[in-house]
Amino acid sequence: MNHFLEMRHISKTFPGVKALHDVQLLIKPGEVHALIGENGAGKSTLMKILAGVLQPDDGAEIKLDGEAAAIEKPLDAAEKGISIIYQDLSLFPNLSVAENICIGKTFGRSLFSRVNWKTVRETAKKAMAEVGVKLDLNTPAERLSIAKQQMVAIARAIAFQSKLIVMDEPTSALSNTEIEMLYRIIENLKAQGIAIIFISHKLNELFKVADSFTVLRDGNYIGTYESSEINEDKLIALMVGRELVKEKYEKHPTGDSLLEVKCLSKRGNFKNVSFTLKSGEIVGITGLVGSGRTELVQAVFGLNPPDEGEIVLYGKPYKPVSAEKSVKLGIAYVPENRQREGVVLKQSLTNNMTITCLEKLKYRIGLIDFSQEKRLAEYYMESLDIRPRIPEMSAEQLSGGNQQKVVLAKWMAIHPRILIIDEPTNGIDVGAKSEIHRLLRNLAKEGMGIIMVSSELPEILNVSDRILVMRHGRIHGEFSAASATQEMIMSVAFKGKEDEKAESLQNA
Amino acid sequence: MKLLKTIRLSKENTLGFVLLGMFLLMALFVPNFLSAGNIKNMMFQLPEFGILSLAMMVVIITSGIDLSLTYRAALSGVIIAMALSAGAAIPVAIMFGLLAAVLCGLLNGFFIAIVGVSPILITLGSMILFESISLGLTKGNSVSGFPPEYRVIGNGAVGAVPISLLIFLLVAVITAMLLNRTKWGRGVYMAGSNPVATLFSGINTKRVLLLVYLYGALLTCVAAVIMTSRYNSARVDLGSSYLLQSVAAAVLGGTNIQGGYGKVIGTVYAVGIFQLISSGLNLLGTPRTFVSVLMGVILILVLMMNYYYDKLADKKETAGAAA
Amino acid sequence: MKNILKTKELGIGAILLLVCIIITLINPVFLTADNLADVLKANAVLGILAVGMTLIIITGGIDVSVAAVTSAVAVAIGHLMLYLPDHPVSLVVVFAAAVFAGTLLGMINGFFIVKFSIPPIVVTLGTLSIISGALLFITNGNYMSGANFPEVFTAFSKYEIFGISILIYILLFFSLITWGILKYTVIGRSIYAFGGNSVSAVRVGISMKKVQYFIYGYMGFLAGIAAVTQTAYIRAVDPNGLLGFELTVIAAVVIGGASILGGNGSIAGTLLGTLLLGVMQNGLILARVDSYWQNLVTGTVIILAVSYDHLQKKRIDAQTAQIEVK
Repeated sequence: MNHFLEMRHISKTFPGVKALHDVQLLIKPGEVHALIGENGAGKSTLMKILAGVLQPDDGAEIKLDGEAAAIEKPLDAAEKGISIIYQDLSLFPNLSVAENICIGKTFGRSLFSRVNWKTVRETAKKAMAEVGVKLDLNTPAERLSIAKQQMVAIARAIAFQSKLIVMDEPTSALSNTEIEMLYRIIENLKAQGIAIIFISHKLNELFKVADSFTVLRDGNYIGTYESSEINEDKLIALMVGRELVKEKYEKHPTGDSLLEVKCLSKRGNFKNVSFTLKSGEIVGITGLVGSGRTELVQAVFGLNPPDEGEIVLYGKPYKPVSAEKSVKLGIAYVPENRQREGVVLKQSLTNNMTITCLEKLKYRIGLIDFSQEKRLAEYYMESLDIRPRIPEMSAEQLSGGNQQKVVLAKWMAIHPRILIIDEPTNGIDVGAKSEIHRLLRNLAKEGMGIIMVSSELPEILNVSDRILVMRHGRIHGEFSAASATQEMIMSVAFKGKEDEKAESLQNA
Repeated sequence: MKLLKTIRLSKENTLGFVLLGMFLLMALFVPNFLSAGNIKNMMFQLPEFGILSLAMMVVIITSGIDLSLTYRAALSGVIIAMALSAGAAIPVAIMFGLLAAVLCGLLNGFFIAIVGVSPILITLGSMILFESISLGLTKGNSVSGFPPEYRVIGNGAVGAVPISLLIFLLVAVITAMLLNRTKWGRGVYMAGSNPVATLFSGINTKRVLLLVYLYGALLTCVAAVIMTSRYNSARVDLGSSYLLQSVAAAVLGGTNIQGGYGKVIGTVYAVGIFQLISSGLNLLGTPRTFVSVLMGVILILVLMMNYYYDKLADKKETAGAAA
Repeated sequence: MKNILKTKELGIGAILLLVCIIITLINPVFLTADNLADVLKANAVLGILAVGMTLIIITGGIDVSVAAVTSAVAVAIGHLMLYLPDHPVSLVVVFAAAVFAGTLLGMINGFFIVKFSIPPIVVTLGTLSIISGALLFITNGNYMSGANFPEVFTAFSKYEIFGISILIYILLFFSLITWGILKYTVIGRSIYAFGGNSVSAVRVGISMKKVQYFIYGYMGFLAGIAAVTQTAYIRAVDPNGLLGFELTVIAAVVIGGASILGGNGSIAGTLLGTLLLGVMQNGLILARVDSYWQNLVTGTVIILAVSYDHLQKKRIDAQTAQIEVK
């Protein structure tokens, strides 16, 4: 079969660094092609070249439908039938669904041309119909769930008459039901001959959807494989350049009860939630996105005061009214959205790591002791292996995994008794992921109580001691990690509602 | 990375050299620049503007802006003046002024920090409000007639150094200490860059922000005392020309208008540069209005320079990250 | 959402109505046609500038130099008119010169914002300083009487259609044009897109540069129109007359429901905001409130209006964030 897209001999040199070295990517029409590699492997650089945001070094060869093509700016890519759906979806929160779909291409070239609202509505309607979802076209995007926003983004790509759609981590914010829906849409697009490049860190899901894989490592092309000729372990080995041993964690004896949550409720968030956390224990909370997990742990941390119920902390009643108070009592919280809620990107690593413990760094008349602060920062960079080891560097220059370690470091500095961690490894590459898992197990071993929220079942099953499953704001099941299976958890997470889908997920 | 760090540090240092260079140039080419009279004038004029600029800088670091700054100073000044002319003792009058400034700061702080409305909008409203109160109290007249002891604050000197200049230096040192070496100060920078992540780190961002507006209120009251004392009167437009100039001084001093960065020393240098320009041009017989033109030009020029400087730093950064 | 947008404007409309009723109860003179026409006429300049400012605020920008630009253009056409003959063409020349000068000054703002990525507030602060300084430097702040203006200009300023001043028609005309641009042209939708998500706007191929040049240039264009309107209204040129007026303009836009963070705003809302400010001012005069205290009400209304708007938005966001609990 002829390829729709051929990218060959793609190199990209930034001042002083070679981000891509003679990489190739061949895409057939109507195939789902997974592009994988660890963070920094060069996936996004390659996609930026395809999108016309970056220009490759000389010698690169890009062909579309067998003909040499120049993609010099984002508009060129769009005109040649290439659409990129970025992780943030690139929607306009204030504009209607119809407008979000049509903006750019359908609107017309000149800035002063007239917008024909009738055409806009019709084009949008047609595109949504092809996606197979009914939405009110007048609703502004900010009023839609992430999943529906994703449908709009796909509809936009369809309205642009794309022949190739790049999806960057499309499932990271979706629940399992919604992921199923996305797969159906992808099947549908395939049937129309639209090719898809799918970028994801979740290898298990890639096998459900991808026809072939291209692996990059450190800016080099490793190879392209049909999905029938490869498996997950081999892919990981190719990505990291070595066999990754799946760690089995030993379970430790647990200690005193740290936290008892009794019948906690908050309107529109969660209802009648009860659970306990002992020292040395990792309690995993899972469930679909939107099942109230994040709302629940934020309530315990004091960011989302509950309406009813009680919490007993270290044997005493506790009212979680503010994060400040919780931190003083030894509760730490690593939020899900690292860049928005975890690190302060524009500030130095030192500032990020010591913000929680400045009181301990005072000397003389209560002023911060800089040398002590520096020592503290260096200590945690060393012990958590944060790279590069430059405390003055701003956090935005670090990779996701290292940023997550900075967030962890700021909490290690207060020696918390309870650590709440929400999606600990979202968007983090395989290597850093296992480092973080090991760290969590070690902390538990030292007697910390950990609440871990996660959508990734392997993570939940491997890391936690006990697993709680939430659905529609309630806890619907509790398992010990030793006896739980993916199937058991899935069936609780879906129970009663959409049984079929739960089944199909189990089978897959 | 080391290289980048040195460049970053030198943003303020560069400004210091510019200040020094301008001083030398003016000393050489502007007649009477080094005369005792001119040096004295400059030293007496600078403190009030400097203090107001520092107050503005602290707010800008939190990614806000305080349009009510000078009107709060004026209101505070008017209250002090009215109390003094009604025969109140100086400390009592100043306490009244402080009370007024703090109430104004609380009003801004409440709506900005607690309710969470954008600072530019609230201070736009409160500026109109404060101005109206001053106007209502004074009926547009100036209030004057202070005891001679009060006039010492703005006009007296210890040796050759004006008292007001000492007050300014003290304010600058205290502000620098508070911003750099206290938990509150760190909270100001962190919340200026990302209020959510800062809140999630257990920092009470509302309190941090409220204190920013209260600290600003304190500084405006200090500036109001110096101004009323120096002019021997208070009016509704007391110091109003400093409003935009204080923003310009903070930005010229390297403060990021989007928040998260700003240093006292940078703002102090910028205030010094503005003072040199305004005094120098004055000596050359240039009308005051022209000073305003030049300040606008400088503001834009400096930001154009920043633009090229950042571009350069970006290039170095990618090179540095690669190495 | 369309409903929410509508209620936003309806809300302002309701407040406006309420204020009108209260004022009428205090002083029935308010409801006379003459008084209402006066209110509109007195706020035509504010309205024209606020309409232009709306576009800028929708993109998340701001222009604090508008009043200075308007004054500068007013001074320029004031001097120009001293040399113009008493002929209808002079009127055309005045308008053309005004919009040319205004657009040019607006484009200069745009240039610095686009070319050097300097935040709009800083650029316009700089140009405000430059323009107002230069203006006072040149004019010495001297008032220029309209006695020497061509007769045709004086006639124009007094011209009425159906008993309503031409100045009000100018406001309505440009409001309508701007509304049309916002609603029915690619640039108009690009302005909203830019304010909603500037990164995505670039990705879908919208030129941020062109949009910014357009909005700041158009603001200058409207400042030119406002300068003619202002000169016609006071039949003189006062270089100090609009000192600090930029903040009133911003206030009108914000009271009209535009979000200072960008993405939201409408011409209808801005006109209602302008009217609300104008009517309150008029009402306070009619209620014989001491003129020194009048702004007390204006300031309080601004603070309350923006706070209410903010809380309303927060409430809606919280509702959207709620999940289904079973």
